[in-house]
Amino acid sequence: MSDRKFSVIGTDQVRKEAPDKARGEAIYADDIRLPRMLHGRIKRSDYAHARIISIDTSAAEALPGVKAVVVGSEAPQKYGIVPQAPTETAMAIDKVRYHGEPVAAVAATDPDIAEKALDLIEVEYEPLPVYVNTHDAIAEGAVALHEDNKYGNIAYQARQEFGEVDKAFEESHLVIEKTYKTSYVNHVFMEPHSAVARFDDNGDLRMWSSTQVPHYLHTMLSKVMDMPMAKIHVTVPNVGGGFGGKGEASNNELIAALLSRKARRPVKVIYSRREVFLQHRGRHPIEMKVKMGVDKEGYITAIDYDGLMDGGAYGAWGIIILFYTAAMLHLPYKVKNVRFFGRRIYTNKPTCGPMRGLGGVQPRFALESMMDELAIKLGMSPYELKLKNAIDKKHVTVSGVHVRHSEYKKCLEEVVSESGYLDKHGKLPFGKGVGLAGGYYISGTAYTLYMSYKPHSTALIRLDSESGVTLQCGATDIGQGSNMVLAMMCAEKLGLPYESIHVISGDTKNAPFDLGSFASRVTVAAGSAVCEAADKLIEQILPIAGVALGCRADQLAVGNGEIYSIYEKEIRMPFWDAVEKYIAAHGPLSATGSYTPPRRTGDFKGGNVGHSPTYGFTAHVAEVDVDTETGEVKVVNYNEAGDCGQPINPLSVEGQVEGSIVMAMGQALYEEIKMTPDGRLMNPNLHDYKVPTMRDIPNIKTLAVESYDEDSPFGAKEAGEGPIQPTIPAILNAIYDAIGVRFTEMPVTPEKVLAALAAKGQE
Amino acid sequence: MHLEPFEYEKPNSLVELEALLSKHADEARLLAGGTDLLVLVKEKILSPKMIIDIGDVAALQGITADPAKGLTILAGTKVSTIEHSAEVKEFAPALSFAAAQLGSSQVRHMATMAGNVCHGSPSAETSPVLLAHGAVLTIAKAGGERELPISDFWLAYRKTALAPGEYLKAFTLPALPKNAAVEYAFKGLRGAMEIDMVNVGVYLELEEDLETVKEVRIGMGAVGPIPYRAVKAEAELKGMKVDDAFFAKAGELAAAEATPIDDVRATADYRKKLMSVLTRRAFSAAFARIKGE
Repeated sequence: MSDRKFSVIGTDQVRKEAPDKARGEAIYADDIRLPRMLHGRIKRSDYAHARIISIDTSAAEALPGVKAVVVGSEAPQKYGIVPQAPTETAMAIDKVRYHGEPVAAVAATDPDIAEKALDLIEVEYEPLPVYVNTHDAIAEGAVALHEDNKYGNIAYQARQEFGEVDKAFEESHLVIEKTYKTSYVNHVFMEPHSAVARFDDNGDLRMWSSTQVPHYLHTMLSKVMDMPMAKIHVTVPNVGGGFGGKGEASNNELIAALLSRKARRPVKVIYSRREVFLQHRGRHPIEMKVKMGVDKEGYITAIDYDGLMDGGAYGAWGIIILFYTAAMLHLPYKVKNVRFFGRRIYTNKPTCGPMRGLGGVQPRFALESMMDELAIKLGMSPYELKLKNAIDKKHVTVSGVHVRHSEYKKCLEEVVSESGYLDKHGKLPFGKGVGLAGGYYISGTAYTLYMSYKPHSTALIRLDSESGVTLQCGATDIGQGSNMVLAMMCAEKLGLPYESIHVISGDTKNAPFDLGSFASRVTVAAGSAVCEAADKLIEQILPIAGVALGCRADQLAVGNGEIYSIYEKEIRMPFWDAVEKYIAAHGPLSATGSYTPPRRTGDFKGGNVGHSPTYGFTAHVAEVDVDTETGEVKVVNYNEAGDCGQPINPLSVEGQVEGSIVMAMGQALYEEIKMTPDGRLMNPNLHDYKVPTMRDIPNIKTLAVESYDEDSPFGAKEAGEGPIQPTIPAILNAIYDAIGVRFTEMPVTPEKVLAALAAKGQE
Repeated sequence: MHLEPFEYEKPNSLVELEALLSKHADEARLLAGGTDLLVLVKEKILSPKMIIDIGDVAALQGITADPAKGLTILAGTKVSTIEHSAEVKEFAPALSFAAAQLGSSQVRHMATMAGNVCHGSPSAETSPVLLAHGAVLTIAKAGGERELPISDFWLAYRKTALAPGEYLKAFTLPALPKNAAVEYAFKGLRGAMEIDMVNVGVYLELEEDLETVKEVRIGMGAVGPIPYRAVKAEAELKGMKVDDAFFAKAGELAAAEATPIDDVRATADYRKKLMSVLTRRAFSAAFARIKGE
């Protein structure tokens, strides 16, 4: 790190909203109760794949207390986060494509009445064949889920090739080829999707929703409701987590708006946990055929990847995620020859989508497992192999992705020394093992999801001697702490305490434009916008202070609530006196800032995807105990060393990293949505879908390596999605070290461990 | 959540409770903690016409320990009370441990052991320990009481020996003789908030020589439609010398008597393997406890 001295940045700060949340006083969308508000409930399909012959809502409409009933044909406009390829409607129209898909909805004065009314809606179906796996869906003669799709049930497919892959394999010293499979998992954020819609007498729509992306919700509401964007106002109250699952419009938001318009009353639509599993947008299960070669010294020669993605019923973020799996092959190691083939398949399942670390977690699992295997076969420590291949401080991939700042090598070095990996790997008794894995993630994206060249983030800061500092930014705090990060940056710039910054965010009218919370973009993008606005304010104030103090403005600085000369201690005045003088002389004092990421692309299909202003890096060591009699895997110790640039709030970084590790550990060991062959979910509840509990969480030690990205606001980079990348392979590599079995599928349940041990014993 | 309507009664005494039960024998359900009952009602699996809340019946609350009679736990006692009770920790530590594994802290503060047992789930946490202890149930109704060994309580999947108008009033765990111990072992996929794949309670009593088995009981859970004892194994193990071979044999015999099925949580084959390992480990732990290790 540099010799920078900060007073707010880099200090552990408790979030301002934390006590409210702990006491249950924080307002979430479900806490909003408007006068005359109705409760909406959704009628869902009893078939996973069927034509809708008829829907009869007359009995439901006749039920006292029912104020509106809507069906799919009332909102036929297709939408999707990728506007070039919309696939969804607010409710199914002619066809249902997964069991539990919305087909109609009711608004009533009471939730019980609305539920009763659902039972009175008669839907007649003509069942179609159900495909719950990719191979069945693309088999010869399979019925297309989407009749207008050009390639049957292949939603998208793409190839990319860099370098001379075949030649590199021929010249390799060692090549491994294997198939890996990841499982069907959900985010399990705490707060189910919740939305309240209200139309005023002017025909304007107000929506309060638990979304990550008020802007994208705004665009999709405009499309589906067929209304100009200016007549729609989206507000995000406190949000109980998103992890990607609230990263596009969900049916409840559109249905709340439709019911509200029809009933002419406010309508709230909240999901049950089962409905969260139906809305889904969880991680794509991918069957990955991966081939990787190394030379004698362990340098990677080539990677060949073929991924078959199970996309579920609709498009959603699918094409973006497909190209992210391609981009993720190129980092954090130097690879000269890369071939990618990816297909995303429609199946009769709740739709997959963006989930923390999207596109990276699956290939990372395969590649880090494979590198571990290659190293051991070469008789080399996996650490040595990974360090040899790790990128340097600056790097350009063969696909043209520029990494302006990396401390990945430091991550590897420090996690290995902190964990004692080299003393343990290959040396612990049978049943105990350690595993190493690394990873990285983007800190934002270079492009919007639709063609646009406007700034991705904007901020407005207003200084007023009466109301204080008001920071307005459309960035959305979904629990990750973006309000805190932006307020801390603003406070540091203005030389004021963090507590004094009032943030207005997550609102399409009361805050200036921001794309939303996804792709770990907010700290760098919105942070840059805030810094620019704050710098402009300082530029405006210092000349005023200079006149008052009889001093050149360029010799003044702000800090501790004062404006002072950097040369003479006694020349100083209170910050707010200068603001007062400015306002008296010039009127209101405010400034805006904006951020547009550097534009880079590649001259190939998907060439826009993967570019980011900067990247975060991380390395993990997991230590496991395997009970060789019951097959139980217990992660006992866990070390992480991460390069997130300068941590803005180290306490929050630690929380993000620990949360990432626990989330991925659940996917490695316990979590899996199970389905019947006819497409019904078997465990859409938190009793049978098993996220880790406090008892399962290992002793975790995280460490932020010395790092400062000179081109980022306060040197910061992402910390919320990179740290989930290496966890699964770190644990699985540790299991290999413990019992000599390499798992290529998740979750690694005790039963699978025991079966594998038995099979190994027979060899 | 849309609930079918029901009548709600909250008696203050056993007399009132028994009167309500005899009058509404067929249509009433007892509410103790509600952690199972209300879930079933909300999911519309059960639609009782009347719910009788026993929360105000003081005569159903409490734990007493008597050196001669043993430990008596009245049916309205919360699982968390059992978990933290000094008497239970002293006279039935395995029960205290099993109670601590049930659900979450919130659930344990609402739920009762009587509910756990009467719900009749084959994987209930406390049932195998009660089987191992040879617990005796006091079953009451208006005008009478009877006693029943817990091994006769479960008749079939979620069916118990409670007749219409009857309720479970108390558990009695006979005082442990000298040289005896009970242990509980379980396995779920994760460490808490689980429906166990397998659980087992074992009772081991040694002769004066501290190496010959005088008596054993094995209570098995989640390996059949009801929690039950491995009676054949128990007969075969009696009189054996306690050593590693005995522990292994106990595991094998218990697994042989287990009749699990494949379900969403585990396969039958894995459950049998698990039963063998857990039973062996539980007996080994019981032996260590007797020897004061």
